[in-house]
Amino acid sequence: MANGIRDKVAIIGMGCSRFGERWDCGPEELMVESYQEAIADAGIEQEDIEMAWLGLFFQEQSAGKSALPLSLTLRLPNIPVTRVENMCATGTEALRGAVYAVAAGACDVAMAIGVEKLKDTGYGGLPERSKGTFDDLWLPSSTAPGNFAQLASAYAAKHKRPMEDLKRAMAHVSVKSHANGKLNPKAHLRREITEEQALNAPMIAYPLGLFDCCGVSDGSACAIVTSVEKAKAMGIKDMVTVKAIQLAPSNGLEMSNTAWDGSYLLTTRIASERAYAEAGIENPRKEVDMMEVHDCFSVTELVVMEDLGIAPEGKAIEDVLDGVFDRDGEVPCQLDGGLKCFGHPIGASGLRMAYEMYLQLLGRAGDRQIDSPSIGLTHNLGGAPNRNVASVSILGLHSA
Amino acid sequence: MNRDQATHVNQTKNSSNTGILSFGAYIPRLRMSRRAIADAVSWAVPGIKGLAKGERALGNWDEDVITMAAEAARDCIKDLSLDIVGVQLASTTLPFLDRSNSGVVADALQSGKAVHTEDLSGSRRAATSALARLSKTLCDDGPTLLVASECRDTRPGSTQEMLYGHAAAAVLVGEGDVIARFKGVASIHEDLVDQYRSTDAEYDYALEERWVREEGYFKIVPAAIEEALAQAGTSIGEVHRIVLPASSNVARGLAKRLGTDAELFADPLSANCGDCGAAQPLLMLAAALESAVPGEQILVLGFGQGADAIVLETTPKLADLQGSRGPSRYLAEKRVVDNYTFFLSIRNQLSMDFGIRAERDNRTALSALYRKRGDISAMMGGRCTQCNTLQFPHAPMCVKCGAHDTQTPESLSGLTGTVKSFTEDWMAYTRSPPYIYGNVEFEDGANIMLEFTDFEPGQVEVGSSVRMVFRVKDFDKKRNFHRYFWKPAPVMASVQDEETVNG
Repeated sequence: MANGIRDKVAIIGMGCSRFGERWDCGPEELMVESYQEAIADAGIEQEDIEMAWLGLFFQEQSAGKSALPLSLTLRLPNIPVTRVENMCATGTEALRGAVYAVAAGACDVAMAIGVEKLKDTGYGGLPERSKGTFDDLWLPSSTAPGNFAQLASAYAAKHKRPMEDLKRAMAHVSVKSHANGKLNPKAHLRREITEEQALNAPMIAYPLGLFDCCGVSDGSACAIVTSVEKAKAMGIKDMVTVKAIQLAPSNGLEMSNTAWDGSYLLTTRIASERAYAEAGIENPRKEVDMMEVHDCFSVTELVVMEDLGIAPEGKAIEDVLDGVFDRDGEVPCQLDGGLKCFGHPIGASGLRMAYEMYLQLLGRAGDRQIDSPSIGLTHNLGGAPNRNVASVSILGLHSA
Repeated sequence: MNRDQATHVNQTKNSSNTGILSFGAYIPRLRMSRRAIADAVSWAVPGIKGLAKGERALGNWDEDVITMAAEAARDCIKDLSLDIVGVQLASTTLPFLDRSNSGVVADALQSGKAVHTEDLSGSRRAATSALARLSKTLCDDGPTLLVASECRDTRPGSTQEMLYGHAAAAVLVGEGDVIARFKGVASIHEDLVDQYRSTDAEYDYALEERWVREEGYFKIVPAAIEEALAQAGTSIGEVHRIVLPASSNVARGLAKRLGTDAELFADPLSANCGDCGAAQPLLMLAAALESAVPGEQILVLGFGQGADAIVLETTPKLADLQGSRGPSRYLAEKRVVDNYTFFLSIRNQLSMDFGIRAERDNRTALSALYRKRGDISAMMGGRCTQCNTLQFPHAPMCVKCGAHDTQTPESLSGLTGTVKSFTEDWMAYTRSPPYIYGNVEFEDGANIMLEFTDFEPGQVEVGSSVRMVFRVKDFDKKRNFHRYFWKPAPVMASVQDEETVNG
C-alpha cells in the first residue's frame, strides 16, 4: 500500500500578492506579484522550474482558460503547465499537482500558482455562473451565502440551539478574524469590528449578515516545491514539508439522500480523516498548532471546527465563545485574517493559506507571529454544503 | 342577423351516463387588496374608490396560464386513476402562441404520449364552447380533461385592474360514474364586441357595460338558455342553479327577464377572486358543485361574442368528490398583498432595478430539456430496485447503493416534503425577494435542494411541510422563452386538517 506524501516534498519558496480590490491590476500583474516574491524567496532562477500548475476558477471573468495565462504572462520556457479548477479548493488543487509531480520523481522543482480577478464583474459578491445545462433547469439559482446559510438553519435545528446563540458565536468568529486581519499588511479588510456591528449588519442570506461573509478579492499566491533531498542539497535548514494533502468531493449523497442531515460537511470529515492518517496525526486538537480553514462564511468556520475533529460535535459554539480559536487560544485559527479579512480570490485561496502556515512555521509572520508552531492545517471547501469539494492539507516543519 | 339561423341546436350524445366525472380549481395564494390599488391610483381615477372592497386573485411572478391549469387539473384528477385521452386548455392568455400549451400541462400531469392535446383560445367562451362540443363528440376511449385558465394583466387605473382575477378550473368529461350528466346544450354566435384584445395589445379594450348588459346578456344569453332548456326537456323553473360569468348586477337583471329567482345565480366570487375570463364559468361551476346536491339541474353559461348554455344534472356520485376539491379550499388560503408596486412588479408591469445579477442569461438548452423532459416536467426521479432508495434526479447509478441501471422512474411531484435546511437570500435575483430555497426531504431517502415559492419571509422553518407545485422556473428575456419546474409551496391548511382526520 502506498504510504502517501508525508515529508517527501519541501516548500522552498512562497509568495502572495496583496489581496483586495486591485483596480490597478489584472490577473497577469497579480500573478507576477506573487511569483516574484516566491522565486526570490526560493533563491532559484526561472529555468529551475520544470513544471507548473495554475489554479484559476472564474476563467471567464478574468484570464481565460488553459495553461496560457500563466505561460504567456511569465514567459515560461515552454515547460508543462496544467490549469486546474476545483471551485474554492482550486489553489490547493494546484499545490497538490505540483507536490505530487515532485513526490513522483517526475521533476525536481515545480511551481503552483493561483490567481483570481473577481472585481471586474461590476457588482458585489461572486459572479453568477451556469451550473450546467441540466442542473440550471431545476437547481435554485442560489448564491454562495444562501448555500452556506442553510448550514446554520440545519445546525441550529439539529443541536436544538436558538438561532441567537449561533448568531452570537458566528459574530465572535468574524470579530476574531477582523482583529487578525488588522495585523496583516496584505489583507483586504484591515479594520476591527465589534460583536454588535456583526449582529446588526444588513441581512445577506438569513441568518448570514454582511459581516458573516468573507471578502470578494483579487489576488494571487504562489509556492515553489522540491524534494526533501534536493532542498537539503540546497542547504535549506528550516524546512517546511508537506505532511498531507487530501481531497474529497461529494458523490451526491448529501444532495440526493436523507442520510445527510444538512448540519455538517461530510467531505471535510472524510478529507480530514485521510489527511490526519497521512500525516500521522492522532489527536488533532493537541497536535495541530494553527489552522487556516475555509471561512467563506462565519457559520462555515464554526461547523468546520467540528468536522475537522477539533471541536467536539455540537460544542463548536462553546469553543468559539471560549476563544479556543482566537489568536491566543488553544488552536488559533485564521491568523492572517482568513478568507474573511485577508480575502478570497478563489484560485489563490488554498495557496494563501499555505503561505500563512509557511510564514508562521518559519517564524516570519511579523506582528502576527505565534509562538513556535510546528504543525499547521489548511482547509478548503468549494461549492455548497450539499455538493462540494473539500481539501485538507497538513504542513509542518520537517523536524515535526 | 336572424338569430334562429345563427342558433345551433344540437343533440347531446344520447347517453344518460355522459357528463362530468370530476372537477377542480386553482386560485393563487396571493390576493391583491383592492383598497391598496385604489389608494395607489385614485389620484387619477377617483371613481375607482367605489370598487375598493375585498381582494382579487393574483398570480405570483412564477404563475401563468399553464401553471395554474396544471394545479387545477391536479385538483380535479388527484385521486382518480384514469387513462385520460385528451387534455384541452382554454384561455385567452396562453403563454405560447406556437408551442402546445396544453402539451406542457399534459406532461406535468404525466398524461403520456398518446393523449390528444388541444389549445382553445380566442374567446372567453373557449371553455364553455369546448364543454358543449365535448358533450356531443366524446369518444369512448376514455375521459377528456378540460382546463380553463386565465391570467389577464390590466392597465393601471382601469376597472379591470380591480375586477379581474387570475385562476383556473377543470372538469373531467367522459362516460361512467358521472357526477353531473349532460342534459342539453346550445351555442349562439353573435359578434357583439363587448371587449376585445388584439394580438399586439397588452390589455383588454372594454365597451360601456350598460350596452353590453342590454344588448348582450339580456338578449343573446336568454336565447341560448331557451334552446338548451328545450333540448334538455326542462324549463327555467326546474333549474336549481345558474352559473353566469357576470356581475351580480347583471345576474339580477337577467333573473328578472327570465322570470326566475336571483338567488339561483351562483356567486361570481367577486369578493375575493375576481372575474377570471375564460376560466370564470368552470370556476363558478366548480364552486357550485362543491355545495350542490344530487338531482340538481345546473345551467352553465358562457358569454362573449355570443353565448353557450349547458344544462347539467347532478347525480348521487357527486357526494363522493365533495369536500376534497374545488375553489373554496384555495379561497381559504391567502397572502394579502397591499403593496401596489409589488403587484405591478410581479406582473412585470413595473421595471424594478434588481441589479446586475438580474442580467443572468437564462438560455435553455432545449435539446437538454427534451432529453430530460420527464425530470423537469413531471419531476420524475428514480427508485432503485435494489435498495428502494428514491432519488432526484434519477441517475445511471444509485446514490445510496451504487447499483448500476436499477432505477425505475417515479415522480416526486405528488409527495409532501419536509424542510431540512433553508435560507432567505436577499442577494440572489428574484422578482419577489427574498429568494427562498433549501434542502427538502421526501419519502424513502430522497433529498433535493429546491427553490421555494409562495412563502413569505419568516414563514419557512426547518421541519415545515411543503407540497410541490408546478411553476415557472426562469424567464429568458432575450429569447422570449421561459421554463417550468416544480417548487415547494406551503401545505394547504385544509389538506393538513384532512390528513390529520384521516391519519
